[in-house]
Amino acid sequence: MRFNEKELVSLSRQPSEMAAELGMRGPKKGDVVKKRLVKLVVNFLFYFRTDEEEPIGALLLEQCRVEREDRQSFSIAFLDEAERKYLFECDSEEQCREWVDSIMKASYEFMRKNLIFYRTEIHRLTGKDPLEQYGISDETRFQVNNGLRLMPRDTSSL
Amino acid sequence: MKLHEKMLTHYLSCTSPVDKEGYLYKKKERNATYQRRWFVLKANLLFYQDRPADRHLLGVIVLEGCAVRRSEPDGQFTFSLVFEGPGLKTYRFAAGDGQTQESWVKALLSASHCYLSLLVRDLGRQYEEAKQQQGSGESRPSSSVSALKQSTPNFLFPVQGPTAVVRVGRSFSAGTALQAPSIPTKVVAKKSPKLWPRRNAHVTPLNGPAPLYGEWPLVDFDPLQDFSKLHDYYGQEVKKAREEWLRSRRAEEEHSDGDLIDLG
Repeated sequence: MRFNEKELVSLSRQPSEMAAELGMRGPKKGDVVKKRLVKLVVNFLFYFRTDEEEPIGALLLEQCRVEREDRQSFSIAFLDEAERKYLFECDSEEQCREWVDSIMKASYEFMRKNLIFYRTEIHRLTGKDPLEQYGISDETRFQVNNGLRLMPRDTSSL
Repeated sequence: MKLHEKMLTHYLSCTSPVDKEGYLYKKKERNATYQRRWFVLKANLLFYQDRPADRHLLGVIVLEGCAVRRSEPDGQFTFSLVFEGPGLKTYRFAAGDGQTQESWVKALLSASHCYLSLLVRDLGRQYEEAKQQQGSGESRPSSSVSALKQSTPNFLFPVQGPTAVVRVGRSFSAGTALQAPSIPTKVVAKKSPKLWPRRNAHVTPLNGPAPLYGEWPLVDFDPLQDFSKLHDYYGQEVKKAREEWLRSRRAEEEHSDGDLIDLG
């Protein structure tokens, strides 16, 4: 699958509050923990070999489960394959907590839910739709019903 | 760099909403011909494939760090995604008609994670303000909404970088700041238990919740950094209030010195 690699690499160089050297282990059997510079930018987790400019890889942080594994490590599992987890080892409990929290809040879907909540509440409290002033109240992505739509998408085409 | 594709295809096929899909023509870089593709926009990702029923995804464009440009009206309904930076691409598209072009441009303008992040932050502030206004029993929705209308001219366009956040925040405060000094005292007077601890002082309690960013006075220092300056600023206001009160008391006393009843 093609993707805009140069642009994504450029994104990985943006300043980020969450960037640190962590131990990282891949999901496959036989993968070992390696020291990586892990960086959270928008809803992507980039990981670099220390002192390298270009990331080795990028993980999309959507539809994934972030969990504390033990006091200083956390894992990211992608819903389809709960057994395939990426493991990350931190230097402290505090750091571990920070990462779990940040990753959860970085997801687009998480932010969208917050937006829909605020939109609904502001409308309830003030009678006004706060998105009207920005001219985006009709955009599908901000519709209040979306979060409640439980019908699975037809996946036969994929 | 490796992009873990399975995660993307999984995200595409899961139950979270699709933000937009449809046919568009995508310009090939090399020979400038257009190819019809089926596009699916979800979050900040634009996927494309040959047909909607295809199992095979041709590609994905991550929509961060790009501007959406409408092209000159040339009867071709074209628009482009321009990634800003040395050596970065421009993706060119053409729609079947003007309506399709317009709706894709609008959808792509609000697609980035950065945009959503700013929007959520802004709405979060509005929500806190709306809650406070409800809590204090005062409804001042008209003033804050009109302030926002004045102060958010550029919000519709994608902005990137930390400076953009500060700009939005400060312009938000410009309209509401004029009322800032009166808000703390009025709220205390109402003795709303939700907001302030019980105190007799008619000043912003130091250990109470901080006024919203929009309520900071418009001064030439950063209120969030220089608390001592902010303290002095409010201190001046308190001083003034005391002087006025003393003056009015003196005036009352003078009046009471005279006869209460006019004996002619």
